[in-house]
Amino acid sequence: MITALLIVHGIFAMFLVGAITHQALGVFWPRRPGQANFVARMRVANSQGYVNAILTLYVAVFVMGSFLYPTYRVFVRPPLQDLQLTYAIGLFEVKENFAAICLALLPSYWYFWKKAPEFPVTRSALTAILFVTIWYNFIAGHILNNVRGFT
Amino acid sequence: MNKIAARAFPAFAIGFALFYAPGYSFTGATSTVNWPLFTYFPAINQWRWLLVPGNDNSGPPMWWYGWIASSVLVGLVFAAIAMLLPERALRKISPTLIWVVPVCAFIFLLNWELSWFVTGWKPIWFS
Repeated sequence: MITALLIVHGIFAMFLVGAITHQALGVFWPRRPGQANFVARMRVANSQGYVNAILTLYVAVFVMGSFLYPTYRVFVRPPLQDLQLTYAIGLFEVKENFAAICLALLPSYWYFWKKAPEFPVTRSALTAILFVTIWYNFIAGHILNNVRGFT
Repeated sequence: MNKIAARAFPAFAIGFALFYAPGYSFTGATSTVNWPLFTYFPAINQWRWLLVPGNDNSGPPMWWYGWIASSVLVGLVFAAIAMLLPERALRKISPTLIWVVPVCAFIFLLNWELSWFVTGWKPIWFS
């Protein structure tokens, strides 16, 4: 059951990475008229269209991670401590903290994207924070999942 | 709805981050302040109010849920205060603070978390 949940958690996280990456590219490196190659098509013109998907996926991934956390605490972290793999524990500590703070940012993220177009800097900054956090958490999660391969 | 969103949402996020970062950083088995609202012991599936250290019988404690719960309460207090303040003041402040405060919280947290990656690291402001 936990393994299945971990896999679904990872799949949803992948969707989330895709959504936030499209939005961030659209914000910071928008497609110019006439550009139609593969890379340009990733740089969406309508960044706002990803807001609800990002919100939904973030909450779903966060809730699944919250259910997985006790298993990590009881069965995964103690062996890491025994092996003195403190960097792996640190990766997770950063992941859990960034994830929590970004969860609290989501209502504001929704507001500034959907209801307050007069604050483009704030919208861009919130997207950048989510982009960095989501990518970091995705990579850190995969390293932790495979950490025995690194020892 | 727009008024609530414009005032309460940013204030909630700011209050949450302002409490969460020191909550994580200053929580320990010997802490004198109860930063987490409750402690969960996953090995025995038990919840206890406030900060409770682990032992051989209860297994490792989890404070993360408790930090989030405490931070939500602080965030709600900030949101309530923001609803009472003049709108003009908030319109100037909150669009910037909403992203500056979480970034500062990340830096504050990283300052503590570097001890996991760098042997002998002491948080800069407290060494």
